[in-house]
Amino acid sequence: MRTRSCTYLYEVTGCLSSPCRSARPLMESGGGAAMLLLVPLLVCALPAGGNKNYLLTAPDIQAVEIGTDFTASCMIIDTDEITADDLYWNVSQTTVPRERYTKVNQTTLNVTIHITGEKLEWLFCLCKKVSSNVILNEGRFCHGIMLQKGYRPMRPENVSCEALQAGQQISPTITCSWAAAGRQTKEVPTKYTLMLKVVSSETFNVSTEGTSASLTLNIFPNFMELEIWVVAHNKLGTIESERLRREAGFFVKTDPPANVIFISETSFPTTLLLNWSRPIKIQQIGLIYEIRFCSNYSHEWTYVPLSDMNKDIQSFRLQYLQPDTVYVCQVRCKNDKEGYGYWSEWSSNATERTPEDRPKSKPDLWKITSDGDNAIERRVQFICKDPVFSNGRITRFEMKVVDQKDRGKNGSWVWQSIPVNRSEAHGGAVILREIRLADKKSVKVFVTATNSVGKSDPAALFIPEKAHELGPVEDLKVWPRGGRLWLDWKPPGGAAATEYVVQWVAADQMDWQRENRSSRLVAIKGDLKKFVCYTVSVYPIYSGWTGKSASVQAFLEQSAPLEGPAVCLSGKPGRNEAELMWTQIPLSRRQGFITNYTISYTSGSQVHTVVVPPNVSSYTLTSLLGNTKYDVWISAATVGGSSKGFNHSFTTLKYAPGEIEFIVVGVSLGFLFVFVMTMLLCFYKKDAIKRNFWPQIPNPGESTIGTWSPECPLKTETPKENCLSGISVLDVDVCDGKSVFEEDKAGLPLKKDKYLSEEHSSGIGGSSCMSSPRQSVSDSDEGGDMADTTASTVQYSSVVASNGYKGQTPSSQPQQQAVFSRSESTQPLLDCEENPDVSVPEGSRQSQRFLRHPRSSSHANRDPADIDRLLETERREALEHLDFCPLEEDAEQTPPTDEQSAPRPASSYMPQLGGYRPQ
Amino acid sequence: MNGHVKSMRFQQFMELTTTLLSLLLVMAVDSTRTAAASRNQQCGNSLQQTWKLTRLALKESVDLIRTYKAYQGEMSERFCKVPVSDVPDPNISGLEPSERIASIYTHLQAFLAHFKRVYEQQTDLQLPTSPLLTELTIARARGRSLAALVNSFYQRLFPNLPLPEPAGGATALPPPQNVFQQKVYGCVVLKTYKELLSNASRELRMLKSKVCRRRIQINTPIF
Repeated sequence: MRTRSCTYLYEVTGCLSSPCRSARPLMESGGGAAMLLLVPLLVCALPAGGNKNYLLTAPDIQAVEIGTDFTASCMIIDTDEITADDLYWNVSQTTVPRERYTKVNQTTLNVTIHITGEKLEWLFCLCKKVSSNVILNEGRFCHGIMLQKGYRPMRPENVSCEALQAGQQISPTITCSWAAAGRQTKEVPTKYTLMLKVVSSETFNVSTEGTSASLTLNIFPNFMELEIWVVAHNKLGTIESERLRREAGFFVKTDPPANVIFISETSFPTTLLLNWSRPIKIQQIGLIYEIRFCSNYSHEWTYVPLSDMNKDIQSFRLQYLQPDTVYVCQVRCKNDKEGYGYWSEWSSNATERTPEDRPKSKPDLWKITSDGDNAIERRVQFICKDPVFSNGRITRFEMKVVDQKDRGKNGSWVWQSIPVNRSEAHGGAVILREIRLADKKSVKVFVTATNSVGKSDPAALFIPEKAHELGPVEDLKVWPRGGRLWLDWKPPGGAAATEYVVQWVAADQMDWQRENRSSRLVAIKGDLKKFVCYTVSVYPIYSGWTGKSASVQAFLEQSAPLEGPAVCLSGKPGRNEAELMWTQIPLSRRQGFITNYTISYTSGSQVHTVVVPPNVSSYTLTSLLGNTKYDVWISAATVGGSSKGFNHSFTTLKYAPGEIEFIVVGVSLGFLFVFVMTMLLCFYKKDAIKRNFWPQIPNPGESTIGTWSPECPLKTETPKENCLSGISVLDVDVCDGKSVFEEDKAGLPLKKDKYLSEEHSSGIGGSSCMSSPRQSVSDSDEGGDMADTTASTVQYSSVVASNGYKGQTPSSQPQQQAVFSRSESTQPLLDCEENPDVSVPEGSRQSQRFLRHPRSSSHANRDPADIDRLLETERREALEHLDFCPLEEDAEQTPPTDEQSAPRPASSYMPQLGGYRPQ
Repeated sequence: MNGHVKSMRFQQFMELTTTLLSLLLVMAVDSTRTAAASRNQQCGNSLQQTWKLTRLALKESVDLIRTYKAYQGEMSERFCKVPVSDVPDPNISGLEPSERIASIYTHLQAFLAHFKRVYEQQTDLQLPTSPLLTELTIARARGRSLAALVNSFYQRLFPNLPLPEPAGGATALPPPQNVFQQKVYGCVVLKTYKELLSNASRELRMLKSKVCRRRIQINTPIF
């Protein structure tokens, strides 16, 4: 019922004008399934005799096969208004080309289309709009076929069935599976029916859409012929798989054998008896068994050939086993009919140890040679492994050391029993004995192994004289590959070795293995550890005599060292350099060959690195900054990575060694130079210095004034220099003022007489012999002098007429030359007494000096206000005098000449050049 | 000369023909032997399967009797030896193998009806979960399978001899019984069935040497 008139199609869609076109989108928009459901209902709902179609399509098919040609016919019925020429076909809104049409007759038009794609489509037969009737009844001139596309079912393959054991019966449920072939579409799915026929009896079946199914019978049909096949079917056809006709036992899979046990018999050390129970009664199914076993040290199963196994046995004796070895065994079973049934799962393990037997091979004897206490002997330690076929626990070794030269004296040829305490065994080897063997001696050692049953054949090892040891192997190479260490060597150049011993030694491990004479490329069979350094040695053995060894170090696998080198400073750091030294990483923590060391150091943000080769253990860092703290660490690298050591910090020196000494010496030398230069300067300029710093003050006691004065016969000493006048500048301490006053008072009568009669006190500055005393006084008053600049300095000068007139006043004899004599005495000249007529306001120096002694008795009686005024006045004058100081100094450097000492009419002040002159 | 040559060619032709005929004869004999061996193997396999199934049914019948007694309460062994009418004879009758095989088949068919009656009776007497009902079902199905296998074997051995119908028409079943009678009846049926299977097993073992070997002798050509 897939051919439909367009009348109800457009009723479904509600589109009267273009029913076929409106139906199509509905189908294409996924509503196809709904529409397919609605169409039959609508067909049934049509009123009888109404809405008759004038077109009819054929065939009425359920599905079309993809990839084939499909031919449909469209027939005009009950009208002659149109002919086959007016018809056309549409598929998926596309008009089928005319060349695919076949006009059967005037009322029938065939079309052949090729079915492609898996999409559901409609094939419509339509009529051209040849008349108004056709236009008005367009829905009656339309008919279609729904094309549900699919593939023909393909033959299921590989049908297999299985019936499991359930309790003491075979389960009546048989499960089968098969492989689906070919493709299927959503519209044309393929279903499968599993068929099972018990020959001469019933047939069972079950349907599924998958590729497996189970059938449950009344009972499992033991010994009955079963025929099993699978039928694949869809709308396009049906096909059967190959029929599987077998006895029911063909499909049986039983449980594994039960109660599997090993029985060991002491009298048969190489056999074990295996017993088990049937998993199911023999009446149900006959069974054959398969046995596999392995020793406890092996993980590879050994299978007992099926040909060695009889049917329906429940015990088997395993032979040719190793004595004193634990064996594990498993058994499984299946239908005893050849090719029938499935193997059961393996049974649980049965484990047993075979009885002990006499050792069937020699023990593996070897030696460890080391240097003796002195240079002429060796220390040889003999070690031994159990025989490969020890056939039991070795309880003791018996050893005999034969010294050829000894000839059995001292009992050296007697067998010595060495009990084996397994707790003392190291790595499977037992240390038998250690001997001191002189280099010029050779020995032969024989060892047997004994277990609880018997003794092995003796193993022999001959140690030659040291000088007679034959040469080692050549070009020994060791490399890791595939988790093992491989060795390659060339045989020794001299005598042919009969076998080789490969020995490998680590920190806590020592082992060896023997290789035959033809071995060149061997792998170490021992359990080597990763990241451990092994010293691999190859010893050639010459008919039992050991030869010299060749050794190489190797790692099975390398990794980064477990720790980095510990770095420290060698000595103290310098200012710009520091010498580092580090310790080698212990061999047990190295985990590989060191490829290089990387020295890293930083003083802040920037890290500097230096890479040094592995054989270096110290390095000097240069170009460091002074007085800077550095962190330094060293990384040791292997091919497996690198590890960083701990940081070490140090601070560089602020000064380089010797720098301080250099500075100190330099400064000292400089200071010494300056000092020497100063001293030299002082020495050579001592006069000038003396003049500047220690001016010579005349000793008043030695003053010659006294001699000048007629009234003072006591001072009759003639001045040493005529026409010279000196100025004595005397720093008078205030405290000394009193004494000075007292001295002045003492000499007062003398001076009073002298000055009153003949002399005039001139002030400071009066140095010219030609100047009159008055002028000198006047000059002194107006300009002041250097002596006035210091409050404590009082200069005394006296002008003595060169012609020695007594009582002659200078004013009356202005042209007369006078001789100035300067007194170096600290005694002030009592001008006030000499010139009582000179008023104070005129600026008499004497009066001023007199007033500057506040502690004098005369001051004590004064009014304090007066004293203050005087001090103020004195201060102002001092300030005024300061302006003249440079001129006075300049003037002093120029010695007075005659022209200069000539009197000047303008009473200008003449500085007192030359200071004073010794009188 | 020509005649001699012709004679030579004829002789050669005859030799070739003789050789070819000999070869064909050997091939035919070998083919016959192979076919006979194949048939013999099929006979042996079929008989072997039948015998194995008989043995299995016998084993199950022994277990069934044990279970039956266990689920009937206190029941004396002698009650199972009480003769009950309408229970088939366990003995195999006939002289020829075909007759004896047919006898096995008919007896099995007869017991299937009795098994059905016993099952119905025990369904009323036992709980639905009783193992006895399960074993009865298995025994009945096994008997049906054995009958089908014997039939197949018979058809294979004697394809031109149809199996005879049971004597007396349909199997006669006992009239309604009380519970005790049902228990006794069931036990007798089971024991008799076991005897039948025992006899059948013995018979089939003997048939193996008789039937299949004889057919081999029949089919073996004699030169």
